[in-house]
Amino acid sequence: MSTIATAIPFTGEPAGATSVSAGVELYDRGLILKYMAAASFWLVFAPTVGAIVAIKFNYYDFLGHISWLTWGRLRPVHVMGVVFGGFSTAIIGLTYYIVPRLCGVPMYKGNWGQVIFWLWNVALAVGFVSLALGYNSGIEAGEFPLWVSIPVEIVLCISTVQVIVTIQRRTEPRIYISLWYLTAAYVWTALNYAFGHFILPFSMPGVNNAAMHGLYIHYVVGLWITPAGLAVAYYFLPLAAKRPLYSHKLSLVGFWSLAFFYPFVGTHHYIYSPIPYWTQTIAIVASMMLIIPVWTVIQNFYGTFVGSWKQFQDSFPAKFLILGALYYLIGCFQGSTEALREMQRLTHFTDFVIGHSHLTVFGTFVLFATAGMYWVTPRLARRQLYSKKLAQWHFWLTVSGFSIMAFDLTLQGLMQGTMLQAGTDFVDSMAAMKPYWFIRTCAGIVMDIGAAMGFWNIYRTIHAGEPIAVPAGASANYLPEPRGC
Amino acid sequence: MSDHDENLHSVNRYEASGIEERHGIVPKWLLVVYAGLAVWMVWYTLKFWTDQG
Repeated sequence: MSTIATAIPFTGEPAGATSVSAGVELYDRGLILKYMAAASFWLVFAPTVGAIVAIKFNYYDFLGHISWLTWGRLRPVHVMGVVFGGFSTAIIGLTYYIVPRLCGVPMYKGNWGQVIFWLWNVALAVGFVSLALGYNSGIEAGEFPLWVSIPVEIVLCISTVQVIVTIQRRTEPRIYISLWYLTAAYVWTALNYAFGHFILPFSMPGVNNAAMHGLYIHYVVGLWITPAGLAVAYYFLPLAAKRPLYSHKLSLVGFWSLAFFYPFVGTHHYIYSPIPYWTQTIAIVASMMLIIPVWTVIQNFYGTFVGSWKQFQDSFPAKFLILGALYYLIGCFQGSTEALREMQRLTHFTDFVIGHSHLTVFGTFVLFATAGMYWVTPRLARRQLYSKKLAQWHFWLTVSGFSIMAFDLTLQGLMQGTMLQAGTDFVDSMAAMKPYWFIRTCAGIVMDIGAAMGFWNIYRTIHAGEPIAVPAGASANYLPEPRGC
Repeated sequence: MSDHDENLHSVNRYEASGIEERHGIVPKWLLVVYAGLAVWMVWYTLKFWTDQG
């Protein structure tokens, strides 16, 4: 690391060998590309299951005569598929790229990566079949049965060790913010996953279990999806913008405020429940205080991009990062205010909550991971992006389909909540939601078609993108500059 | 160059990744947000520690 007193022209990721990496292959390109391919598959599979689930809101009998395609079986496949299938597979793959790049040394025990890849993906496949067959631990977002949870936990623990030891061996004196977030995400999740899968289903009956489940499910979101997604966003943000990150100081404020407030948030799922009142109050306060890390991150994001908006036009990673940041601002403000008692009274048991969860998990963090996939795949494959047109379709169908879906779910939640507060019969309020469910389903399918185009594009880039010539004498870590990425 | 300007413009470069970052500042509007939320947090916690009925 060097410190320079004035602004300098941004040169981006070193294309060739650097002083710290000369002659040393930092990562296994084939392994990371395998992760990108697998993540692409899961990111088409899980939203497709979501679309089937959404169709069932409109046509109750749709695929309802086959037990493993019923709503109760498919819904967990969709949720676990997005969280652990699509998002997490992309994150683990990107970890193998980001950590060595930021540390200047190869990943510790990088050869374990191939074993981990197969263990992870086979476990996921077995997990989704198990869920469809009705084997479910009964803990929302922690639904994998034991024979799946154990290999998943092993992967998380091994990855945690790899990340920590690699950082400990780094040649860079300073730890970039992405490494803070990744370390925290892996450590927290190795613990939280064990909590949700090995402790909660077997202990603490009754309301205590519900309270703890509130913590578990929000730790999945806040202590895995959020920090891992932000790690990816912070890594690719200055590269995509071709500018220095706006503020190191702000990035640390964001990290530590997230670490301080998020552990108390989970119980806001159980406002107006028999859980002690003061516990609910702490959860509400912590939820509102999350405005601090969110707005801090957003300031850092837009501060970095100001003056570099041309990249938004030219670079697909930049497009997905900016779009994700916009949804992050909206979705998290929605989440913070939703925790307030007055808002809970209005929105609980409505699709407002579903709108919020889609805005944050898919709208924000899956899009951040997508930006990383668009950045990494052509560079490591040393090929041009297979099709810029498909990527354009991916982006604009996401913008249109997802925006309509999120707005529709939010609006219908507020409508239903208002009806229920006015004393409307619950069944009548459900009947009034039918047009909203139809719009939500259509918009979701539009978004899913976009995702299918985009991830097919990423997959095809690995095998069929136009090859980019590698200069003679280029290092093992040579990175080309593909068009549009 | 003032400390403020120096913080805003000093750039660190991570050699292996090529990433650069400014030491940077915390903008004043965010400091106001932090302070406002902190005051609200104390007020809300004290007021709603127990059920008001």
